[in-house]
Amino acid sequence: MSADKVTIYVNGQPVEAPAGTVIVEAAKAAGVEIPVFCYHPKLTPVGMCRMCLVKVGQPARGKDGAPELDEEGKPVIRWFPRLMTACTTPVSEGMHVITDAPEVADAWRGTLEFILTSHPLDCPVCDKGGECPLQDLTFKYGPDLSRFYVPYKMHFQKPVPLGELIWLDRERCIYCSRCIRFCEEIANDPVLEFADRGRAQEIVTFSDPPFDSYFSGNTTDICPVGALTTEDFRFKARVWELRNVPSICPHCPVGCNIVIGERAGEIKRIMPRANEWVNEIWICDKGRFGHHFVGAEDRLTVPLIRDEDGSFREATWPEALEHVVNRLAAVISTHGARAVGGIAGARAANEDLYLFVKFFRDVLGSPNVDHRVAWPAGTGIEQAVAHVGLASGSNLAGLGKGSLILLVGSDVEEEQPVTYLRVRRARRNGATVVVAQARPVKEDAEAAHILRYRVGGEAHLMAALLKVVLEEHEGALDKRFDKLKGAQQVREAVAELALDELAGASGVGVEEIRALAGLVAGARDVIIMVGREALVGAEENAPALVDAAAALLAATGKAGQANSGLVALWPHNNSQGACDMGVLPDMLPGYRSADEVGATVDEMLSGAAGLKALYIMAADPARDRPSSRPVLEQVDFLVVQDLFMTETARLADVIFPAAAFAERAGSYTSLERRVQRAEQALRPPGEAMPDWWIVAQLAERFDAAWPPYATAVDVMAEIAKQVKLYKGMTYEKLEGEPVPWSTVAGYHHIYTGTSVLNTWFGQQWPVQAEARRPKYTLRWSGLRPPRREQGVRLVPRRRLYDHGTMIARSHLLDRRRARPEVLVSSQEAERLGLGEQGGTLRVQANGTALVASARLEPRLPAGLAVVAFDVDGTAWNALTEGGLRAPFGTLEKVEEAEE
Amino acid sequence: MAHAHEPDVSDILARWREHGRSGLLPCLIEAQERHGWLSPALCAQIGRALRVPLADVYGVASFYSLLYTEPVGRYVVRLCDDVTCYGHGSAPLADVCRAALGVEPGQTSPDGLVTFELHPCLGYCERAPCLMINAHVYGPLGAQGAQELLGRLRAGEPLPHTAHADPAPPPAFSLEGEGMLLARVGRVDPSSLADYEAHGGYLGLREALRRTPAQVVEAVKASGLTGRGGAAFPTGIKWESAARQPAEPKYVVCNADESEPGTFKDRLLMEADPFAVLEGMTIAAYAVGASRGYIYVRGEFHAAHRRLAGAVAAAREAGYLGERILGTDFTFDVELRRGAGAYVCGEETALFESIEGKRGMPRQKPPFPTEQGLFGRPTVINNVETLANVPLILARGPAWFRSTGPQQAPGPKLFCLSGAVARPGVYEATMNVALRELVERAIPREEIRAVLVGGAAGTFLAPDQLDTPATPDGLSTVGAALGSGALIVVGGSADMLAVVERITRFFAHESCGKCYPCQLGTYRQWEIVRRWQGGRRRPDDVERLHDVAHAMREASICGLGQTAANALLSALAWLNGPEKPEGTHGSAGDGDH
Repeated sequence: MSADKVTIYVNGQPVEAPAGTVIVEAAKAAGVEIPVFCYHPKLTPVGMCRMCLVKVGQPARGKDGAPELDEEGKPVIRWFPRLMTACTTPVSEGMHVITDAPEVADAWRGTLEFILTSHPLDCPVCDKGGECPLQDLTFKYGPDLSRFYVPYKMHFQKPVPLGELIWLDRERCIYCSRCIRFCEEIANDPVLEFADRGRAQEIVTFSDPPFDSYFSGNTTDICPVGALTTEDFRFKARVWELRNVPSICPHCPVGCNIVIGERAGEIKRIMPRANEWVNEIWICDKGRFGHHFVGAEDRLTVPLIRDEDGSFREATWPEALEHVVNRLAAVISTHGARAVGGIAGARAANEDLYLFVKFFRDVLGSPNVDHRVAWPAGTGIEQAVAHVGLASGSNLAGLGKGSLILLVGSDVEEEQPVTYLRVRRARRNGATVVVAQARPVKEDAEAAHILRYRVGGEAHLMAALLKVVLEEHEGALDKRFDKLKGAQQVREAVAELALDELAGASGVGVEEIRALAGLVAGARDVIIMVGREALVGAEENAPALVDAAAALLAATGKAGQANSGLVALWPHNNSQGACDMGVLPDMLPGYRSADEVGATVDEMLSGAAGLKALYIMAADPARDRPSSRPVLEQVDFLVVQDLFMTETARLADVIFPAAAFAERAGSYTSLERRVQRAEQALRPPGEAMPDWWIVAQLAERFDAAWPPYATAVDVMAEIAKQVKLYKGMTYEKLEGEPVPWSTVAGYHHIYTGTSVLNTWFGQQWPVQAEARRPKYTLRWSGLRPPRREQGVRLVPRRRLYDHGTMIARSHLLDRRRARPEVLVSSQEAERLGLGEQGGTLRVQANGTALVASARLEPRLPAGLAVVAFDVDGTAWNALTEGGLRAPFGTLEKVEEAEE
Repeated sequence: MAHAHEPDVSDILARWREHGRSGLLPCLIEAQERHGWLSPALCAQIGRALRVPLADVYGVASFYSLLYTEPVGRYVVRLCDDVTCYGHGSAPLADVCRAALGVEPGQTSPDGLVTFELHPCLGYCERAPCLMINAHVYGPLGAQGAQELLGRLRAGEPLPHTAHADPAPPPAFSLEGEGMLLARVGRVDPSSLADYEAHGGYLGLREALRRTPAQVVEAVKASGLTGRGGAAFPTGIKWESAARQPAEPKYVVCNADESEPGTFKDRLLMEADPFAVLEGMTIAAYAVGASRGYIYVRGEFHAAHRRLAGAVAAAREAGYLGERILGTDFTFDVELRRGAGAYVCGEETALFESIEGKRGMPRQKPPFPTEQGLFGRPTVINNVETLANVPLILARGPAWFRSTGPQQAPGPKLFCLSGAVARPGVYEATMNVALRELVERAIPREEIRAVLVGGAAGTFLAPDQLDTPATPDGLSTVGAALGSGALIVVGGSADMLAVVERITRFFAHESCGKCYPCQLGTYRQWEIVRRWQGGRRRPDDVERLHDVAHAMREASICGLGQTAANALLSALAWLNGPEKPEGTHGSAGDGDH
């Protein structure tokens, strides 16, 4: 869009607007509402519904091009003969727009009358009632009576399922195509379309399962009538009865802003909260429909203590806390503080994690804390993000021409779905997307280049890229680079590497690497997103991968620059916060090096740390990493703090019932390092309590001189004081300035749908590289040749709807839940004698064997098979250590009779 | 349910694969020609090959009325019951067909042999009443003829069509001596390029290539030629606007989707003088700097399509199309596309969407086609007859053209006379001809009740309004416009309400559904007319119809909706039956809200 401003006149009032803006937006900015149905600011305008007709004129020009003037010297306005659609007509200098003329009122009334003649007017039983643009615009502009004949209304079976998540009521549909355009343009899931034509036209879906999209729920938000509604909210409540509580989605690190619609102590629905920096107005269906774990019947509600006979008995809080304190104290006095370990899941809030670390390091005196149950430890990416992470002030929506997004080993659609939407939007705005992945993923669709590396060669690819940039793009290098500590060592180390050997090890051609290097060198913004698969595949070379990425950003001067930097595609909603709060054995809160370095999660769970007691908060290693079971069984004392009786909890000596995200206030830090706060919406069930409260109670019983934290607000106030990166981030400050992006706030749902308006936008903390004189040190960890073994390389793939503890309790997703299956390449299928329909295989790897159904994925490179995890009990997790190993394994066909 | 034996369409897919989505409609048409209908498996196969989502494949397939996503009979019998054929007894003929086939309209016989459909105007009005069996037209058909024909079909006997010889084009008459546009029609062998050249063919192109493109545009501007598709926009100005655009490539599109009921003049030109259309397109391409052209031929015009395909091949062979045309460095080639039964695709932007492999829904204008047309590129789209005029202008000079006929609307014009006349056909005249003269030439068979000028989107004129000349000014004095040039004579015996019902049904059937005023308005007016047919009028019906018309005219995206009420409103003068409240509820609770 051109930055040139033009002046137009809306009802005679001058309004400035960028040239090319459509009239609806220009008028909105001037506070003039033009009613719309099909128009949506996120979608290509189509001008279908004809609701936005206005009178438009342009200054007349004489033959010489000069404006014609009337007798009074005013410009003569030449009015278009017909009313124009304000949603498709771009503004131009001197344009006059009239919205308050009688013919405009007539047109608005007429269009509404038309729409209503075939609308069922079943508002009393319509989920949209109360937040329905058709209802509201009718009240405002519509006729009080229709002169059309009731029997002419169309009657359909109502409603019909567009799949089991979304219902379509064809009587209510006004054919605005917002849902179709959303699926095509925003989600890239083109599974909806109109069928037939004219009055017979209707929305249909063609996919298996029907309406196959992780983003389907968004269509119900932007549907301007009640044609699309969700199974989840259907007939659950009237919208005006809901208390809308701002919160943050607990499912992935994107940190989508959500609103919890609460009534009578229950979550009735989850809706997106508009935050243009994070999720715009979208959320994925996991976020929308995955809340049922909160209200699940099997929540833990009272503390449990294991009795002599091995069974659990209910206990009071004081009893359970006292018990834990006594046992921990006993262990420490016998074996020393280092005999106690703490694992805190990265689902917990910053307040919980902060106090957890404080409890371990300050009260117990043990440095054994870690959160990386589902993330490879020892890669150094946590520190690298603090150095060269995506700089504060970044907004993926601001990416466009000149921006480069490099995704390495990612599968954002399955793991961070809304990030996929953001990457896609950036690409549509002109950004270049490069996908480096060993296997096909959805973001390939956005990629200008796809680099299919060989698993194990990820670090070599990144090193090669760094080498070419350093050595062949001198001009693109930043002068400050060589002033950084470690820069020289990196240069020297890289100089010794041979490009063709690196390329050979990576499986990507030298020319492809050169092409990518050229893009990196020429880009204005460079974002590198590193996924779990890249680090897992790189194995012992993962640190080098991280080092090379950090050096690349520093060398090109992108580090510290807004809209550039490193993003770790974490597994959990608060993995970033867990790092920030120092839930790491070698770092204190805010990435200060710890004098006393503790055991990593791997050392704790493998037994190498020799722990006698373990305190596990919000994590389930027995399930996620089945190899840890012997350690968990043998440890003298195990405390588990969770929502459910997890596999790990079953082994515990004491279980504390924790409050879920919706049942307490808390702050969470997203993968863009945006600290965001969530409000309490519900009361916890029974006696369940927030994690931070439980930790604080333990500390108090250890006679720690902690301040009396009354609420999470108090804990955050301390974080805002003690942790430099979070300086000043009190709850009050996290509210931010209200910047409703829809300028007509009162009527925003007409323009944008029912995504709730927002004033809590959170704050990104600045990385080291943003400092005027950056002081971080670049690291070079060295590269070894990739491991080569016999067999097929198994790549673990996480799926959005898996069998995880939380999502498993949303049964409306059952039909779409990931199946335990193996994807095999064409070559492998041929070797195994599998047909197009797949077959059954015995998979052996990592000391585990299982029988699985196999599906052909023709785009998969030879020598690779993709296995799911967290899909069925623990066997699949054992195969890949819950996604943390990419082992070599064997596949054998199982004949029918054997099955 | 996928059939066990899907036919092999890999050759079709191979031919269209590189077109991507733009190959969708041709693939669907050709696959259906082979398989009879578009099974889910076929749709999926096509979608995969062209990389079009399945939902979109289905959305497109279900948009066009000649495509079937459900099984149909081996023979599809389409009886035209539109205004012209209705006047020739299509209603009783429908009963004959129903009885002979044992199938109700819209149904398929249980043995899967035949599907019977009532169809909007097939564009073969000179042969009314007519029907099509698969790709072949039969007409005029009496009851006996129909019985015999359909009897043979039912009995499995060979049908009396000759698969290889095209039927004769419609009769053509010129009021201008030897004729201008019609000079070659009936005198040359339309399959012979040599014959075309021997009768002045390609003189216009040779003349054009001697000039600069800008000079060609100037010549067309100077000629005063206006579009012959209905909107009468000055052709030269359109070309100039496209020529001015910097974006490349540019396209020339020939709109041969002639679907206005009662109109068949473009079909005549395509069947009887196809090279003239190509020559006009080539000149247009040279003038605006286009290197590629498309001709979008109405799906029902099989003979015209074959004719044009032959002409394109011959012209390419002879160096009139392709690279370095006639030794210049001008390069241009043409691709033929077929429609699949959607009147709205005659609207220029809907036609673009259709070529691009989408549902044929019109686009919001601006931007206009000359700025962003086909594939978003500058595009000149002209009607067949418009393009056929172009070689004349170049060959005989713009001054000649300008001085032919009235100053305001110069040049020859083709009129389609049908209905209650003894000599239906295409009549060439200049536009100062009085409507009455045209009607008289066609020899009315009975007392004239009305003449529908401009087809379904046109206006009914009373017998005493026919002395007006066919110029835009002349017609506007009686509230009409020439439109496509169709003149359907409604005889005194016709049931005017039934005629109007057919027209309103036509629009309800053809509205694409994109914009609400048209989608709903076309339906509402049809519903009201049907109610009248049932003898139930309401006092405020006329006001309602005016309201509906107003909403459609003012708020519809494209010409279809904007003109859908014209005929009905102009017919009200004939329909002044007694207005009585309907039903038994009286006025108190009469159900309107």
